[in-house]
Amino acid sequence: MIMNEWVIYLLFAAGMFFLGLYCLLTMRNLIKLFIGIEIIGKGVSLILLSTGWARRSIFLAQSLVVTYIVIEVSLVAVALAVIINLYRTNQSLDIRSLTRLKG
Amino acid sequence: MTFQIILLVAMLAASAFAILAKDLLKAAVALAVSSLILGIIFFRMGAPYAGVFEISVVAGLITVLFMLTIALTKQGDDVRESKTVKIIFPLFFIVFALIDLFVMRGILARIPALEGAAEAGTFGEVLWKERSFDLIGQLAVILAGVLSVLALFRKRDRHDHE
Repeated sequence: MIMNEWVIYLLFAAGMFFLGLYCLLTMRNLIKLFIGIEIIGKGVSLILLSTGWARRSIFLAQSLVVTYIVIEVSLVAVALAVIINLYRTNQSLDIRSLTRLKG
Repeated sequence: MTFQIILLVAMLAASAFAILAKDLLKAAVALAVSSLILGIIFFRMGAPYAGVFEISVVAGLITVLFMLTIALTKQGDDVRESKTVKIIFPLFFIVFALIDLFVMRGILARIPALEGAAEAGTFGEVLWKERSFDLIGQLAVILAGVLSVLALFRKRDRHDHE
């Protein structure tokens, strides 16, 4: 019974991963792309916690998820600072304007 | 379990809205709603600490950071997305859902049952005793983040203009 519920969590986590990947592949706005990365991260933490729940080792899974969340915050801070700096140089959030960076 | 499935569907819907919304502020709010629902799911799975972190940090702090960035890059709103993105999304999503269901049903028969003994102790003991090395890593990541944000926003030296 617990396996069935675990597979349901996996199903929805794969759905989150698909949404984020679709966003990364099709969108052009830098902030939108970063929202896609966040959604992929949510799917991954759902997988982590539900697997820990199915194995009855929820404390270990919880500590991994807490670690991931702390890392996510500093990732978001750095990435948004990079996005603001790119906006100041290019006056645009379009990902295609970054092709000028190639050497 | 039914309520849990309703929550999962709502989380997926909020994430889809976050991706497809044209207004960036609405997208950020939808992302916050999605992580709020994820926090509730964590609570109901018996993981209160992860739920608290998800709601307070991801739904609170990260949303504030997103809104600050959107406010600071106001004229960047008008990036033209290609029109086909929204049109082909349902098609791709249905194809993906079918593949997902098919693969997961195949997996269910093959995966050996996950063995696991019930854990001893409390969450605090597991976090501070078993995973204490992770905490050093977290400290290093936070320091690196602070230093790199400081480096990205530093004032220009005079040498840069010469």
